[in-house]
Amino acid sequence: MLTYILFALVIGSVYALLAQSLMLSWGLAGLVNLGLAGFFAVGAYASAMLTTWGHAPIPLGVAAAMLAGGLVGLVVCFSTLRLRDDYLAIVTLGFAEIVRLVASNEVWLTGGTDGISGIPVLVPRDAGIWFHAGSLAIIAAAVAAVYLLLRRLLRSPWGRSLRAIREDQTVASVAGKSIVRFKAQAFSLAAAIAGVAGAFYGHYTSYVAPDLFQPLITIYIFLAVTAGGNARPAGAVIGAYLLVAFLEATRFIAELAPGVSAVQAASLREIVVGLGLVLVLSFRPDGLLPERSQKAPAL
Amino acid sequence: MTMRFTRRSFLGTSILAAGTLAMPAILRAQEGPIKLGTLTPLTGSGGAYGPVMADVVKKAAGEINKAGGVLGRELVIISEDDQTNPEAGLRAARKLIDVDKVSAIMGTWASSVTTAVAPVCWQSGVFLATVSGADSITKLPHQGFIIRTQPNTTLQGRKFGEFALELGAKNVAFVSPQTPFTESQFAALTKAVEAAGGKTSILIYDDKKTTLRTEVDQVLRSKPDAIVMGGYTTDTAVLVRDLYRANYKGKLLGFGYAVNKQLVEALPPDVSEGIVTLSPSAAQGTGGYKNVARLLGVDSPDTYSCQIYDHLNLISLAMAAGKGTTGTVIKDNVRKVAQGGGQKVDNAVDGLKLVTAGTKIDYDGASGPCDFTDIGDIEDAQFRYEQIKDGKIVLLKIA
Repeated sequence: MLTYILFALVIGSVYALLAQSLMLSWGLAGLVNLGLAGFFAVGAYASAMLTTWGHAPIPLGVAAAMLAGGLVGLVVCFSTLRLRDDYLAIVTLGFAEIVRLVASNEVWLTGGTDGISGIPVLVPRDAGIWFHAGSLAIIAAAVAAVYLLLRRLLRSPWGRSLRAIREDQTVASVAGKSIVRFKAQAFSLAAAIAGVAGAFYGHYTSYVAPDLFQPLITIYIFLAVTAGGNARPAGAVIGAYLLVAFLEATRFIAELAPGVSAVQAASLREIVVGLGLVLVLSFRPDGLLPERSQKAPAL
Repeated sequence: MTMRFTRRSFLGTSILAAGTLAMPAILRAQEGPIKLGTLTPLTGSGGAYGPVMADVVKKAAGEINKAGGVLGRELVIISEDDQTNPEAGLRAARKLIDVDKVSAIMGTWASSVTTAVAPVCWQSGVFLATVSGADSITKLPHQGFIIRTQPNTTLQGRKFGEFALELGAKNVAFVSPQTPFTESQFAALTKAVEAAGGKTSILIYDDKKTTLRTEVDQVLRSKPDAIVMGGYTTDTAVLVRDLYRANYKGKLLGFGYAVNKQLVEALPPDVSEGIVTLSPSAAQGTGGYKNVARLLGVDSPDTYSCQIYDHLNLISLAMAAGKGTTGTVIKDNVRKVAQGGGQKVDNAVDGLKLVTAGTKIDYDGASGPCDFTDIGDIEDAQFRYEQIKDGKIVLLKIA
């Protein structure tokens, strides 16, 4: 039982990294990033290939994942500069699908649909419960580091400019802010965080494959960020852990329902997840932790 | 708000909540029933197969329980959904292993899900019986904890090649979505066809597309006289329809799990006319296949239901033979009841009586003879060749 809880917390922490990535690009910069699963995949593959096939140490793999995520983020951002809202969403969704298709078809590069198994782990697996506890400690530390970083950025003039751009591009531009530079920085940083999440996921489960990076995971993270509050790092983190707790709890609830078959229980779970989103949006449209308006600093 | 307060209180509440939810499970786990898990795709792209698989296991376990259970203990089946997704599958597997404390997991379908779940199983000493076909699975360092009832893909590829030749084809095209076994299947098929002086070509398509017209045109450019289809039901239906529209008159071969009753019913009779299918089969006359048909109330159950029925029977018999209920007991005894001569049985109820009486048994199941190599592949499989005629699937031969 303890193993299961630790496992759920590790997955929750990976989701929390992804949620903070989405919080930055969507909540702060207003860039609807449906390509989250793609950046997650880029990071996972970068680190898995380097450490499994290249026998590089894990910290180097994680750094490479961050770099790869950031660079790909930059490329995607520059190719979508003129797009906002729905159009950006469509293009980024397409990007994630391209990553998945490349990963399944370029067998020489990625190992194809077999994926990469036997990825080195953060803590030796034979350490039993300490394998999970140790991995949790490392990944949770990464969540905390990203949280502190984002909080600092948010309070800085940089964070204020991003919000200004999100609210009204033209006004921000007139005020002398370089829209392109801010957007590219935010998007690239967000992609780098998603890349780190991918690296940690691979180093915890020892396996990455294209099937992991279906759009489903992006939807889950949108759900988490919406529930927690999309413009605050704490909201994203709490939303992610709540989401995993919720996803796992629905298993037990579905089991309690009498007289339903396995397939009905599975469908019931999906209904409950959807219903959860609808309820959150109707009662707390800004999430559990809504954005606070910042007062101008006293001169 | 400070972060420390929120996170801590959140962690505390979630652990409490999870603990309360799991309480009945912990109480139940002390003594009494033997727990087994099914991890089949109930939603997602495998959703056409998984629900029936979970259903047949529940029904077969019901029959075993009615006859007195295994080692005098009741079997309890817990069905989880892998959502045809390795991430969701892994979460479900952890729940089955850590919370429900199952001794074995049955029925993982997609190869990627099986590969994700396998390390967790062998490290926790849980037995894993799968229907995934990728060659790489049994090559994992699984210490004997994995068996699979799906013939490995090299064998299937060879059988397709040989059968295409038998139908008089010289130029065979292999059209398939990208799967972990596409390459090995095509290699085996090519070897068989080229040995007889024929030639082959391959085309990979995206199985999520709703039309395959361009792919069909590309395939027909090389004028194949036989096309082997490597996909699943949904995408094969699209492919067959577009081939018909393109006026293709050659032979069409497909897997029995893809070209099934659902596909035939979804297409007009003249579109599906003449498609030949191939599927792993039980030796003619064995009762295993009939048992599955009876449990499900259908005429021709699909191969995955047959295979997972065999998983349950083999696991029950292995536990009885080893007089224990752990995954290790199952892995050490499964070959003692599956092969090596002895009285033939085709269901667990009869088998359990014989095992209790001390008789050596040899289980022949619904999906085939169920004899396993050291790494967990099946040794030999017979294949069922069928053809669609007037909207009905007609048996050609079993060989």
